[in-house]
Parts: sequence; C-alpha cells; structure tokens
Amino acid sequence: MNRAIGVFGLICLVGALLAAPNYLGDYPTEVLFRLLIGVILAEAWNVLAGETGLVSLGTSSAVGLGAYVMIGLLNFTAVPIGVAIVLAAVAGALLAILAAPGLMRLRGLYFTVGTLSLAEALRLVMINGERFGGATGLFLNRDSPRMATLVRIAVALLAGAWAALMVARRSRIWVTLRAVRDDEDVAAQMGVRSFRVKIAVFAATSAVMAAAGAVQALKLGAVEPYGMFGLGWSVNTLAMAVIGGLGEPLGAVIGAAVVIVSGEWLSDYPQAHLALTGVLLIVVTRFAPRGIAGLSGILWAKLRAHRRPLS
Amino acid sequence: MGGSAVIAGNVISGLLLGGMFALCALGLSLVLGVLRLVNLAHGVFLVVGAYAGFYWLHETGIDPLVGLPVIALAAALVAAPVYRLLIHPVMGRTAEAPMMTTFGIAVILENLFVLVFSADTRSIETSYSTAALTFLGVTVPRIYLIGFVISVSAILGVHWLLERSAFGRDLRACAQDPVAAATVGVNVTRVQMATFALGAACAGVGGTLTGLAFAFTPTSGPGYLLNSFAVVVLGGLGDVFGTLIAGIAIGMLQSLGGMVFGDGYRDLVALVIFLLVLVVRPQGLAPSRR
Repeated sequence: MNRAIGVFGLICLVGALLAAPNYLGDYPTEVLFRLLIGVILAEAWNVLAGETGLVSLGTSSAVGLGAYVMIGLLNFTAVPIGVAIVLAAVAGALLAILAAPGLMRLRGLYFTVGTLSLAEALRLVMINGERFGGATGLFLNRDSPRMATLVRIAVALLAGAWAALMVARRSRIWVTLRAVRDDEDVAAQMGVRSFRVKIAVFAATSAVMAAAGAVQALKLGAVEPYGMFGLGWSVNTLAMAVIGGLGEPLGAVIGAAVVIVSGEWLSDYPQAHLALTGVLLIVVTRFAPRGIAGLSGILWAKLRAHRRPLS
Repeated sequence: MGGSAVIAGNVISGLLLGGMFALCALGLSLVLGVLRLVNLAHGVFLVVGAYAGFYWLHETGIDPLVGLPVIALAAALVAAPVYRLLIHPVMGRTAEAPMMTTFGIAVILENLFVLVFSADTRSIETSYSTAALTFLGVTVPRIYLIGFVISVSAILGVHWLLERSAFGRDLRACAQDPVAAATVGVNVTRVQMATFALGAACAGVGGTLTGLAFAFTPTSGPGYLLNSFAVVVLGGLGDVFGTLIAGIAIGMLQSLGGMVFGDGYRDLVALVIFLLVLVVRPQGLAPSRR
C-alpha cells in the first residue's frame, strides 16, 4: 500500500516537473534545471557513498567525459539526442570499469585521492590533447534546445535514475551491497564477490553522472576542460550529498536545494558561497552525521513522541 | 653546449626540485602515517606557505629564507588549534568524517584566499628566484639548489626529531599502535596534534620554497596536493627517507616527462605514477622499515 502511494506520488511529481517550465519564468526555469542536475549528481554520489562507503572526489571525470562524448557524438554523427545521452552514460560506465582495478585496490581513503587524481589527469589530457579541442574545447555545431526542453530531458533522466534505484532497492544486489558496506570481510566469507558488487555500483553511478554531464553540455552548447573537468563539480556534488544526508533517500534533494539556492542568493559572490559550503560541510559532519535529512527525521520523531500523550 | 648538457640540466633540475617535493609531501606522509588521516587541506597549507613568504617579503622586506623559521612556527601554532577544535572531535567516528572536515577546511581557505588576495597569479620576487647557476657546463635555476639544500636539511631535522627525541619516540609509538601507546602513558591526542602541527610547519616551509621557485594562485592547492600524494604513495606512509627518495624520483621523472612530451604534460607524470603505483604496488615502492 505504502509502495503504491510512493509510486503514485512520484508519478505526480514527475508530471508536475514536466509541466513546470510552462508556468515558470526564464530565471526560475534556469534554477530548476540547475537543481535537477544537482539532484541527479548528488543522488548518484549518495548511492555510491551511502551504499558502498566509497567517497568519490572524481565526479568531474564522469561529468566531463559525458559532456565531451555528447558534443562529439552530436557534432560528428547523426545520432538523436536521446541516444547520445545513453551513449555518454555508457562511456561513463566504461570509465569506471577501466579505472576500478586501480582505484579499488585499497579500501576507503585511497579511493578518494585516486578519484581526485583521475579527474585531474583527464583534465590535463584534455587541455593538452589537440584532438579534443585543447584548452578552448569544442563547440556544438547547432543551437542548444530551449530551456523548457532541457528541463524535461533532465526530469526524464532523474525519473529514469530514480526508477532504476527503486527496482535495484528490491533486488538481491541491494542486499549484497549492504552486506559489503557493513562488513566486507564477513560478506566475502559468505560468498559475496564484494569487488564485483562495488564495481557494478561504481559503474552505474558513473553512468548517471556522465549522462548529467551530457545534458549540461547540451545546455551550454560548448565544452572546455577547465569547466567540465573542474573540481567544482566534485566539490558541489560531495557537499550536496553530505549536507543533505548520506544514505538518506531525500538527502540529495535537500542538499541540492540548500547548495543551489544559497548559490543563487550569493550569485554575486561565488567564492563566499563556496566558503559557506565548506563551513556547512564541517558543521554537518560534526553535528549531524546523517545530514539535514537525518536531523529532521530525528526532530520529527521527537515531535511525534512529544505530542502523543496529548492526543 | 650540446644536447647532453640540456638533458643533464633537466635531470639535475628535476633532482633538486624533487628535494622540495619531498619536503612538501612530508607533512602529508606523517599525518597519514600517524593519524591515519588523509589531509585534503595539505595542498592549501602549501599555498598558505607561499602566501606567507610573499607577504613576509612584501611587508618586512627581509629575505623570505630568513623568515622560514618564523613561517614554520606560525604554521604550527595555527594548525594545532585547527586540529584540536575541528578535526580531533570527529577522529573517533568513521574514517570519512575527519577527511571530510579537512576537505571543508581546504574549500574554505581556498575561497577566502581568492576573496582576500584576489585570483591573481603571484610569485615571490628575489634576486635569486630567477637567476641561473652554471656548473661544469650544466645550467640550473639557483633557487632549485637553494630549495634543495634547505629541504634536505629540514627533512634530516625531522628525521633526527623522530629518531632521537622523546616526542619522536611517542610519535612512532602512536603510528604503530595508538591504543598500546595510550596504555603505557603516551598522551595520544597531544602527539596527534603535534604531528599535525609538524606537518603544517613542513608545508609552510615547503610552500614558501615552492612560491620562490614557481608562480602560484589561490587555486594551486589541489595540484600541490596530488603531487604530494604521488610522493607519499611512492615513498610509503610516514617513512621520512622513503619520502625523500620518492620526491627526487618524481622530480626527475617530471623533468624527463616534460622534456619528452612537452611542458604541458609535466603535472600529468606525477598523476600517472600515482595511479600506476596504486595498481601495481599499493603498499609503496620502499621496502617496509619496521
């Protein structure tokens, strides 16, 4: 019953988001687009970190790769936009699968630094590689779609990612995932191939991030290495997921809302906004390990416990 | 002057530069080895050192090399409370919490620097920072030699501190087994704080030397961090001499890489080495000492 309500609510939400650009002005539509991309990235990051314990600082490598693949496909082949986004996602998954043997050799903290250096390495290759447009990057050889269309593409991507997540949550893979996260050694003893499970999650989340990068590239109509492979993507994605709440279903949405909306308020002072994000990151890590979502869950439970005797 | 002199110049430049890399990476290595903490703010600490040298010269007019002890002391005095107040409270939790905190510190400092010092590229201008030194037909920048001598002296100093002093004994004990160290009466928290401060002091000196040799911006931090990480994984965690050898190796490989593939690929060399080491020999290339 609960599940049916959940699915129905999600369908209503997707419908409302698809219709939203018709009723919103240019600026709110633009913010909505940023919010959607943020939620997609943070959700993917959250699944990776929350379910496998792998903290990535390499979001930008998937985002940048997806963006470059997108522009390359649209410029040099005749594939439709939808197919190009799917292929960009495949490229993101391949990147993860290729990098995984190196990044996942050691547990935990080395993975973080490894992803960071992978992103920087890719950026340097793009800057120096003339074939990929060098430091100036590549331009889309046609006009970008309208903002309303872009928002709908992003909504479709988010809905697809959410649907996949809902299916995955009820599957056997999810159980093995939890087992690997909670105690890798015991899980391995029980016959779970932890390495494979981790690679699968890494590849899937990387694919979603690459798809988000592809949509972002479609919006910008151009890609360049400093922006698309920039640390900003990795910083913001991590911040959104952690501030919202690691492993919390609504964490990504809350985190993206906090980071993007505060970014709009401080749009004249981008550095001040990033510094504030850093402060939030430290405060949340210290005082609310499960983020704003976890904190509000606790407050809600307290409120209800408080009210019960009265009613 | 034939091609061989150019190659020799490049190799020796790389070697000298590598000594500086080692000092820059030493703090990261110590903190990782003793605290099991990935200090993502280490790159920004190096940038702090570079700005400290810049403003030292700007405000006092005294040679930044004279100011190095002051910069090291100041870095340690600032880093100790940062560790005690921000990082230590989350140390006992998950491995990610303290790392996330250092990441927050890095993001805050980097953006404050852009706001306060502007995003302009700076360099510390001294008479020797651009001068060349020719010896036996081989030409290297003079600052590389000065940086190498100071870095190796500092590294030997840290080595002496770790091997011969009471603090060093406590530190090595905490690196091996913090619980056992605490049982026999070592104040683990204080040792951890001191290690963090020592790491920051090394970064302050290394950062000033880097600022003398190269131009820097507030956003140089991540590049410095990754370069230092390549040195740390190659040299082994908390291994002082391993760090020195790894720094020199990476310095030379970078110079050779830049010479063969073009200057744009210099920074890529360290990253590729780092990723390769993780794949091939994640425990580091140096044989474990203990």
